[in-house]
Order: sequence, then structure tokens, then C-alpha cells
Amino acid sequence: MHPIFASIAIAGPETILTLGSLAALMLGTFTPKHRALVVTSLFAVAILGVAGFSLTDAPAGRSIAFDGLYVADDFSAYLKVIIMAAAAASVLLALPWLQERGAGRFEYPVLMLLAALGMAMMVSANDLLTLYVGLELAALPSYVLAAFSRADDRSAEAGLKYFVLGALASGMLLYGVTLVYGFAGSTQLDVIAQLVSAQAERSIGMLFGIVFILAGLAFKVSAVPFHMWTPDVYEGAPTPVAAFFSAAPKAAALGLMARVLVVAFPGKVAADWQQIIMFIAIASMVLGAVAAVAQTNVKRLLAYSSIANIGFALVGLSPGSPAGISALLFYVTVYVAMTLGSFLVVLQLRRPDGGTVETMADLAGLSKTQPKLALALAIFMFSLAGIPPLLGFWPKFAVFQAAIASGLLGLAIIGFIASVVAAFYYLRLIKIMYFDEPAVALASEGSPVNGALIAACALFCSPLGMLAMSPLAVATARAAAALFPA
Amino acid sequence: MIGLTHYLAVSAALFVLGVFGIFLNRRNIIIILMALELILLSVNINLVAFSAYLHQVHGQIFAMFVLTVAAGEAAIGLAILVIYFRNRGTVAVDQADLMKG
Amino acid sequence: MSAIASEYLPVLLFFAVGIAFALIFVSAPIAVSALTGTAKPEAVKLSEYESGFPAFSDARAKFDVQFYLVAILFIVFDLEAAFLFPWAVSLHWGGESAWWAMMEFLGELAIGLVYAWKVGALEWE
Repeated sequence: MHPIFASIAIAGPETILTLGSLAALMLGTFTPKHRALVVTSLFAVAILGVAGFSLTDAPAGRSIAFDGLYVADDFSAYLKVIIMAAAAASVLLALPWLQERGAGRFEYPVLMLLAALGMAMMVSANDLLTLYVGLELAALPSYVLAAFSRADDRSAEAGLKYFVLGALASGMLLYGVTLVYGFAGSTQLDVIAQLVSAQAERSIGMLFGIVFILAGLAFKVSAVPFHMWTPDVYEGAPTPVAAFFSAAPKAAALGLMARVLVVAFPGKVAADWQQIIMFIAIASMVLGAVAAVAQTNVKRLLAYSSIANIGFALVGLSPGSPAGISALLFYVTVYVAMTLGSFLVVLQLRRPDGGTVETMADLAGLSKTQPKLALALAIFMFSLAGIPPLLGFWPKFAVFQAAIASGLLGLAIIGFIASVVAAFYYLRLIKIMYFDEPAVALASEGSPVNGALIAACALFCSPLGMLAMSPLAVATARAAAALFPA
Repeated sequence: MIGLTHYLAVSAALFVLGVFGIFLNRRNIIIILMALELILLSVNINLVAFSAYLHQVHGQIFAMFVLTVAAGEAAIGLAILVIYFRNRGTVAVDQADLMKG
Repeated sequence: MSAIASEYLPVLLFFAVGIAFALIFVSAPIAVSALTGTAKPEAVKLSEYESGFPAFSDARAKFDVQFYLVAILFIVFDLEAAFLFPWAVSLHWGGESAWWAMMEFLGELAIGLVYAWKVGALEWE
């Protein structure tokens, strides 16, 4: 067999997504307009499902493809399952919203497929080139999605802001990539690690390169001090798009960050990036918790919540140990379910005038008008706050434990304080829902698919989710071990 | 003799110009798009200079990809800009302030 | 002749042939129309052709937004040329897989073109 076919087989999920997205585009183009959206969306979900299930068939261990550009291992497989699931959920949850606004816009699921393809490439990148192309392939559809409601002023502005800052971030990342390439002499991650450890003293150029790469990646995960775009984009972008942004891209970017730092810069350079990651983690946790207190808009609140959560996840990356990476993966898994669930509830609620919920005051007395949705949202909020019986407590516990095990006690203490501050605004939202008088009678949009998705996320985040913890622990430990060659 | 340092200095200057072009410009969003292209250009100079210095072809191949992605990015940026202009009737930077907080 | 100069000899020849043909194609119609008496100069005919715009006017004039849309499509489809040239000169190293990789790329571009055509992005109105 020609080596190119062996490589294509190793990159099976990406191949399926590529062909699937092209087929979806043609399917949408040639289907009658009134059915195009539904047909293309269902096709996209099927493609994501096939790509996800093809991962279960993959050979165990580490396979390198395309002359070292691409790697398929347990780490990439674990994250790809999350990405495919989150992307499929994002396609499904957008359907009712899109149908209300005209059924002809079948580009939405196609863009989702392309973004999922980029994110899959990101977590499988074994070379700075694959990293960059994957990152851009995930980012470019996201810019378009942010500006998807063309007639809405705020959506266009969100798209524009996201595009300008995103392009700046990838420019910075790219500048760092060139410096690392120049001062190490290779673009392949494991070769960089060998070349760097062979160098007698650390070079300033290399350090600058790492800093620029981290700045670019910090933007993509919306970590402080590169978080400014997040609240604006979440508020301005259509709600289903904001739900998508908060879930799958975060998982992909965190995975990419972990792989680049752990694989390419181990040993003596690790101390340099660990300091930066610790700073970013502390700043994100604190700012996410403090700035969210003053918010009145639900989507902005969730944006600050996602900034704080990224901070907690980065606590797991700080030690650079297998236990820390495993905790990070666990955190990402639970976080994706919590944030998708919260956005789903917001999306499901309709004001009497037909608009979507914007301010927190709209949610007053939700427990009386929509008790089931209020209960689900309460579960997500308690879980995000990290109140013990709910699942959201355990990943926080795991990242702090990994930090303490590596001697980063201070980091864990600051994280604990930040999570107490953050609990205040999550609990305030619950108080508004359960103890305030209803201001407007909110209706449920009533889509059964979204209802089922909410129920699934709520069940996972409830104490029942603890049943899933031991299989998750096995899977995350195996995935994390793939980054640390014995 | 012009060596690696000279190329790196030019590219660093272009990079800084690009970043300043984004943050100090208050007039026109098109100028921001041009500044972004400047950043990517500086990256390409770096890549080609390192590629020649290291006697490897990888850097030049990377530069080809950067070139392509830059063009794709410019296309999407222009498309979003057209949408924005149709809604607001202006491309002034300081008008983009619907969301604050 | 030095080795480097002889390497670029084909390029020099290409230039010479190109310039010669350009001169022929430009001068021949002028000479023919002057000799046969069909040349009737007038103000519009003598003005420079600048893609349909007046050649000298304020540079800050507003463009129709349609121009941007055409420019966007042009950028995307122009890119294939940036890949085709390096691919063409290195094809004998890449072999069959390089051939099929480019065919796949062109196929994807073709699908993009079909989409743009079908949704009417190529229509002016």
C-alpha cells in the first residue's frame, strides 16, 4: 500500500469530516430550499457520529502519519470524542433557532463540520504547521458563525471584533512559531524537544517564541489577559453560536496547549512556561469570578464564567504532570456538559414577545413559570459553582489535588478562594430564579430534541454523574499518559 | 553582508508596526485588515530567513501555507466588513461600541 | 558564461520572446487601422481605459460593495495558482501521491465554485 493511504487511514476521522463537509455543502446546495437546513443538519450530525465512532476502531497506541505532521494517540482520541459530541450537540441545538429565521441557511451545519475538522486537526497536531493550519481551519468558520445573523447589528459587530482580535492572536502565535522554528531548527514537536534539550544554554529567542505561542493560545481559550473579546462576542453572537464557542473550541485549544507545552518543551524549559501558565490561571480565575458579579446580561455572565473555568482547567496544566493533564481532561469533559446545558436552557426560554432571554432580571421567578427548566439551570449553576454532591465539584477537586501533589499549594489556595467568590454569582442567579417574583411569563420554545439534550446534560451534572467518574478516570489517565512517553 | 539578524530586525519592526496599526488606528477598519496582513508578512520574512539560514525547505513550505491562510483570512475579513457596513453604514473603528461592560 | 547566468538563460529568452510578441500584438492593429483608414480618433476613444472608471478623479470615491464581493471570490480562487506553481516544479519528487493530492485540492475548489455559482454569488445584481 502506498504510504499516503496508510496516513489517510490513520487520519480517519479527519478524512470522514473532510469528505462529509464537502458532501454536506453539495447536499444543501441541491436540496430544495425549504428542506435544505434540516437535511444538511441531520447529515452533519450523522457525519460527526461516524467520525466519532471511527475513533473506537483506531489501533491502540501512537500512530504517526504524513511524515510526522500528524499523530493519533489516546490523548487526541479522547479529545476528539468530546469535540465531535459537542459539535453534534451544537448543530442540533441550533436547528429550532435557525428554522425560526428562515430554513434556507444550510451553511450553518457545514461551517460547524469544517470547524470540527479544524479542531480535530488541532488536537492531533504533531508539527507546528499542522497546529497552525488546524487552528485557522477552526477559527475561520467561527468568525463567519459569529456574524451569522446578518441583519443584526450586534452580530455583525461581534463577528468583526472576533475576527480582528482572532487574526491578531493567530499572528502572534505564528510569530512565536517562526522563532521556535528558527532557534530550535525544526517544526516537529518531538524533534524540537530533542534539539532544545541538546542546547547548552536556553536561548532568549526560544523564550520569546514560547511566550508568543502562549499569548496566541491564551486568546483562543479566552484566558486573562487575552479575554477581552469573550463577553462581547458571546453577547453579540447568536445564542446557539455562543453555546458552540463556549464548548468544543475550548476543549480543542486546551488540548493543543497541553500537547505543545508538554511534548515540545519538557525538562528545563518547562519551568518557564509553567510560570506563565500559573499566572494566566490565577488571573483568569480571579477576574472571571470578580468581573462576573457586576453583570446583568445572562450571556455575558456565562462568558465570564467560561473565563473563570478556563482558569481552573489551566491549574491542571500548571504542574505539567500526568496527573495534572488527566485532571485537565476531566475538567474539560464536565465543563463542556455544564456550559452546553446552561446555554441550552437560555436558548429554550422565550419572552412573551418571542425574543430570547437577555438579562438576568428576565429569569426572575422562573421556578414558578418553568419549573423543569429552572431545576435544570439550578443544577448547572450549582455544578459550575462546585457545590460538592454535584459533578462539577469533582474536576475542581482533581485539578487542585494535582497542583498540591506537585507542590503548588499557593495556586490551589487562590483557586479555592476564587471558586468561593464565583459561587456568589451562581447562587445569586438561583436566588433570582427561585425567590424573586416573576417579571415576565417566560414560555418554553418546546423543542423535544433540545429538551432531551438539557435532560442529558443535567443528569450528567447531577450527583448521578458520579457513576460515570470511574470510567472517565480510566480514560483520562490513559489519554494523559499518551503525552508522556515512557 | 546582510545576515540573519538583519532579516529578523526588519521582520520584528514590521510585526510591531502591524500591532500598533491595529491598536492606535481609530479611523478605518480597512486599515486594521492591512495591519493584519503586515503581521503575516513579517512572519513570512522570518520563515524564509530561517529557512535559508538552516538550509531547510520547511520554512518556505510553511510560508506558502501562511500566504494561503492569510488570503483566506482577508477574504473572510472583507466579507464580515461588508455585512457590518450594510448594517451600520460606516467602517469607522470608534463606532463599533454597541457592547460594553 | 558563469554557471548562474547560464541557469537563467531560458528566462532571458522567455523575456525576449515575450517582448517581441507583445510589440507585434500592440503595433500590428495600430498599423493596420492607420493604413486602412479606419482610425477615427475622438475624445472617448483617446482617453485611458481604467476598468470603466474615469482615469482622474478623487481617490476617495465610494466603490459599489459588489466590487468587494468579486474581490473576495477572486482572492480565494486565485490562491490555487500559489500552490500550483511549486507543486508543478516539484511533481517529479512527489510522484503519484503529489498528483492525487493536488487533484483532491482542485476538486475541493471546484465544489466551492459550484456552491458559489448555485447560490448566486457570481451574479452582479
